[in-house]
Amino acid sequence: MATFTERMAPVLVLWLAVSLSGTWAVDKGNFKTCDQSSFCKRQRALKPGESPYRALLETMELTNTRLTLQLINDNNKVRLLLELYRLQGNITRVKINELKPLKLRYEVPDVLIRDPPTEPLSLLSQDENGVVLSLGAESQRVIVSARPFRLDIMEGREVLMSLNSRGLLAFEHLRMRKDTSQADPEAEKKEETDPAKQAETAKEEEEKVEDGMWEETFKSHSDSKPNGPSAVSLDFSLPGVEHVYGIPEHADTLRLKTTENGDPYRLYNLDVFQYELYNPMALYGAVPVMLAHNAQRTTGIFWLNAAETWVDISSNTAGKTVFGKMLDYVQGSSETPQTDVRWISESGIIDVFIMLGPTPKDVFAQYASLTGTQAFPPLAAVGYHQCRWNYNDQEDVTSVDAGFDEHDIPYDYIWLDIEHTDGKRYFTWDPHKFASPKEMLQGLMDKKRKMVAIVDPHIKVDTNYKIHNEIRSRSFYIKNKDGGDYEGWCWPGSAGYPDFTRADMRDWWASMFAYDQYEGSMENLYTWNDMNEPSVFNGPEVTMHKDALHGAWEHRDVHNLYGFYVQMATAEGLIQRSGGVERPFVLTRAFFAGSQRYGAVWTGDNAAEWDHLKVSIPMCLSLGLVGISFCGADVGGFFKSPSTELLVRWYQTGAYQPFFRAHAHLDTPRREPWLFGPENTALIREAVRQRYTLLPYWYQQFYHAHRTGQPIMRPLWVEYPEDPATFALDDEFLIGRDLLVHPVTEEGARGVTAYLPGKDEVWFDVHTFQKHNGAQNLYIPVTISSIPVFQRGGSIIPRKIRVRRSSSCMMHDPYTLYVALNPQRTAEGELYIDDGHTFNYEKEFIHRRLSFANNLLSSVNLAPDAQFSTRSWIERIVILGASKPSKVILKTDDGQESQLEFDFDSSMSVLTLRKPGMNAGVDWNVMLQ
Amino acid sequence: MFETGVSGFLSSDMRLHISLTFIITITASCGTADSRKIRGISPSYKRFYRERKSFLCIDGSKMIPFEQVNDDYCDCEDGSDEPGTSACPRGRFYCTNLSFRPHYIPSSRVNDGICDCCDASDEYNSHARCQNTCWNLGQRERAYVEGQMRTLDEGLQLKQQLIEEGVLLWREKQAQLRELQQVAEDLQIKLEEHRRKKHEAERLREQTLKALGAGDSSVRRENGSSTFNFLDSNKDGSLTVEEVQAKVALVHDEERLLSEDEAVALLGGGRLMDLTLFQHTLWDVLTKADSVKIRGSLDAAGRVVAEDLEASDGEWEATNQKKVEEAYDTVNMEISDLRKKLTIDYGPDWEFLFLNSQCYKLKVYEYTYTLCPFNQVTQRSTAGADVSLGRWGMWAGTPHNQYSQMVYESGEPCWQGGSRSTTVTLTCGTETALRSVREPSKCQYIMDFQTPVACQPVLKQRGIHSEL
Repeated sequence: MATFTERMAPVLVLWLAVSLSGTWAVDKGNFKTCDQSSFCKRQRALKPGESPYRALLETMELTNTRLTLQLINDNNKVRLLLELYRLQGNITRVKINELKPLKLRYEVPDVLIRDPPTEPLSLLSQDENGVVLSLGAESQRVIVSARPFRLDIMEGREVLMSLNSRGLLAFEHLRMRKDTSQADPEAEKKEETDPAKQAETAKEEEEKVEDGMWEETFKSHSDSKPNGPSAVSLDFSLPGVEHVYGIPEHADTLRLKTTENGDPYRLYNLDVFQYELYNPMALYGAVPVMLAHNAQRTTGIFWLNAAETWVDISSNTAGKTVFGKMLDYVQGSSETPQTDVRWISESGIIDVFIMLGPTPKDVFAQYASLTGTQAFPPLAAVGYHQCRWNYNDQEDVTSVDAGFDEHDIPYDYIWLDIEHTDGKRYFTWDPHKFASPKEMLQGLMDKKRKMVAIVDPHIKVDTNYKIHNEIRSRSFYIKNKDGGDYEGWCWPGSAGYPDFTRADMRDWWASMFAYDQYEGSMENLYTWNDMNEPSVFNGPEVTMHKDALHGAWEHRDVHNLYGFYVQMATAEGLIQRSGGVERPFVLTRAFFAGSQRYGAVWTGDNAAEWDHLKVSIPMCLSLGLVGISFCGADVGGFFKSPSTELLVRWYQTGAYQPFFRAHAHLDTPRREPWLFGPENTALIREAVRQRYTLLPYWYQQFYHAHRTGQPIMRPLWVEYPEDPATFALDDEFLIGRDLLVHPVTEEGARGVTAYLPGKDEVWFDVHTFQKHNGAQNLYIPVTISSIPVFQRGGSIIPRKIRVRRSSSCMMHDPYTLYVALNPQRTAEGELYIDDGHTFNYEKEFIHRRLSFANNLLSSVNLAPDAQFSTRSWIERIVILGASKPSKVILKTDDGQESQLEFDFDSSMSVLTLRKPGMNAGVDWNVMLQ
Repeated sequence: MFETGVSGFLSSDMRLHISLTFIITITASCGTADSRKIRGISPSYKRFYRERKSFLCIDGSKMIPFEQVNDDYCDCEDGSDEPGTSACPRGRFYCTNLSFRPHYIPSSRVNDGICDCCDASDEYNSHARCQNTCWNLGQRERAYVEGQMRTLDEGLQLKQQLIEEGVLLWREKQAQLRELQQVAEDLQIKLEEHRRKKHEAERLREQTLKALGAGDSSVRRENGSSTFNFLDSNKDGSLTVEEVQAKVALVHDEERLLSEDEAVALLGGGRLMDLTLFQHTLWDVLTKADSVKIRGSLDAAGRVVAEDLEASDGEWEATNQKKVEEAYDTVNMEISDLRKKLTIDYGPDWEFLFLNSQCYKLKVYEYTYTLCPFNQVTQRSTAGADVSLGRWGMWAGTPHNQYSQMVYESGEPCWQGGSRSTTVTLTCGTETALRSVREPSKCQYIMDFQTPVACQPVLKQRGIHSEL
């Protein structure tokens, strides 16, 4: 109950001094531009042109699974080793490392789910200029050109992608330091006495020592760089491509912009205070995956490198106006549109996976085959989450919980932020405010609800704190460059950072979640990992010094992996505490490629502004494209206080995004859903209820994301890849393939224009059942209660319309099937049911195909080997776009037939079948006659 | 149709069937419809559920066969056909809760595995093992209500006293105000007297000044009698050596005191000088010579004379006037303070007036909170200084009872803008004390303040008895 300053005085003053600077927007000065990051500046200074690299074809070795080949830089004679693999599923992997590095260079472990299975490569032709290899069964070839070195991947006569075609391959080899007095005072003396010779040597080596190669400072921080320059860079050309996506996390549009007139997109996990929108600055997470798309093909580039990375994008059409393009077309003079991409990383090696599609779905499957799929969350986690920094004490939790019942709004999880701990010591509880956590958790359990408590990876340096003592005694902390435990400032004050890159550290961390270790925890307590970029208030760019040490590796090499590992270890802890039975739920702020395997992410500390609401759509869409489907933004906005209208609109939007959590900053007024008058309470209640009625559909989407790696929240182009009108849309999206959502994100909106895709398709307004044709921009008048959502004609969506207190309370409830007919009067859908919380779903589940054709609706078992029984039944079938039958016959699997009552609304052509009553897990069919 | 898990519906159907049989039996014997067995309705709604062939949704929107009442399928928009199941989104279920308080729950809480009705009637088809806890709850509630009643009775008695005290206090304050006003009036009269005197003195001084003006004809006309009077400190009609020494100075480069010889010389060699002699001798010297001046001035004898005149006639007068002015200001301030206090709404019977001069403290963890009603709220940490959580703002209760809540505003500014404020909720209790303090949002404090004067007689008519 103290003031903010009083409570956090030391930390905050420091933090805010660094980050606040008196304005609301991010202080860009705290974060590096490319020019301030020496390797980026160096690399970006290289201009396209003749590459100094040459392939030494005589060194080529081709085995069944891989091709190796040496490359030489003709300027400095340093040799590189190129490895080329053809991977199963239409993926080509290109690895480039130094042939003989001075010391090992970092290769990212643990992100790939396995050694990717290879397919045979075969040599098609070879001459002194290059070789042609066949890539698998399709008519794909890769052409290795020798001088200068480049790779072209072709299909038929078409070039799909070229590597080093602009000659921007650069590989800073590891070297001994030559210029310093510390390294060799004798040498310096010599050099001093003979400056002429020194110059000569340098010239011979063709190596300029530039500023920032061996030491770099940013603001007051210096980076010692004992290994010297180590950056890698490579360019990719994408002929025929005008749209590229991905490389989250950036607060930017879905379609990536060209970066010629500014900084490249940056991938470096950072705790950015009050981030700004629509720019390429780095944020909390990094997934180095880019998708390229045109009407014919989708491809992807996965740049597996965990160091600071910058991505430049340029395009030969970017500058052209529509008129200019038209002119080109008319005059027939147009060059093929092309997008060029260039990746620059500070250290490590080049290890790139080229996913060749050709469809968006293929690319998702290809990427999933490398890094795995979305963790299948417990059903409850798909419900609504109520969070705030902070619910002050147990009484507060109880009264908020009761508030939901009083106002008849469902929720599944209530969250506790950092203040619940005893002095920011994670795994502990404030002895006064949370004196009996189990009592509190039991109270929630009695209502079939759950809790999430925060566990951050910075550990208070305090010899009375068990976690700290254990980590220190096991020497699990990250070390500073001098070998002592690295210490930084974070919420608890002075803090150590466990080395999550160590498997033994992760095992130990996981064991801390055991019920007998984490005192006060119970099975309905789950975990939130925040600040895992890692955030270091007094570190360079609010993160860790790059010369900190993770064993043999520098933090520089592993930085973007840290948050990934934290979530991995935490999720493992939650699995282990239940003996491997229960599915974990862990939210993380920092992430990397593969983070989808461990839980959910959110878009960090956004603000209560309309633009932040808008950007939540492209931000989550971008994450979905690179495998991370379980994404959401803080509903209401974290910083600042939303207007009531913004809050309502945010609930309406959040209800249709995968991770649905309201959150608020400590300094903002309370904003539980019932604090804005009965009308707004009703609007928010309705939005949350819509979420809950759709839980069966959402859960089914998570199941599919888990099985196939397809995103849940999808840009329209993913389902309509041939329709260019969809390519840049990011104010609307699909959930799965059957629901289209165009949330209202404009203040005072009186209407929205939604693009309904599909030339021969129809879409049904889910609220009014009004039918609309596809391939049109539809103007929809809206009021404050409107959430424009459409169901695709041709789909069947199951809902549970008995919205209860929490998702668990709805477990056994009956289903209502919404059958939306397409113009061919058919429809298809699915029904997926399991226990909602254990790993038994691997064997015990119901998965049925529902299909409607020839006036027959039937349910067929898709998983006859799976065992599961449900008490749920089918209470209602609503057929949209139907005509009136004379009678309706239900036939169940025991052969019994019965006639169903129905109601037909001729104005909307909606047929409602009353209480068919069959169990949801059995075969049945319904015949309209 | 009925596979696994449908037993619930079978049993509910069966139950319905049994109840129908029962109803028919009754109907046959009594000749009246009875809907006693329709689950989830209150006695007052029974009339809508009389056994007939069909059922009319209560909102009149639809007619359905009576078998479809409570058949676990929602037919009516208003949910009235499913009072006993969870089928209707807008439905409600009536918990009879014998021995406790009957109430409605949303239909969504029927058979959701959580016991809501104390008579367990909402979980008739779920895994929840609900006990009938109504009797215990009723006991507890009755005990609680009795306690509340006692508190209320006691509180109301205390309140009556406080009202009486309040009235007295109010009168006292009014009297105090009147007294102060009287004092103020008296002081004003005094002040005016002083001002008049001062005015006169000023007039006199001006005259003197005029008279003393060097080279002024009027001074000559005046012939030095007033200067004589000025110099004649003991007013005995003659100037002595001491008097001259005291008020006349020699001037060369600097002003200097006269020696006794020099004073004697100025007095024409004698030790005394009367007015007539003065007018013919010293007066000339004083008005014409450059080397001798009335003391305290090198060049403006008149000014010094005026000051000294004032000092001699008005020094006491001035300090006195200042004192009166100060007293007058103080009294006026007190009056305005008191008036301000008296303009605050202390309730219809001035029952909250006694709180005005009081402060109440409560320690919560490391903080001590102090509520001084109608004045301010502060917070003090064990280490730190007082932080203002707001000054008296207004009553902010419900339209029904505006005295149920107070707001204190404009406390110390907050980190992210705005200022601290406190909302105080007043509840009925037998003693006056601060019961709890919370800070649900940053800088927004909520206090629970108990006092007999918050006790409301209306409460007495509520409670469970009327509903049992």
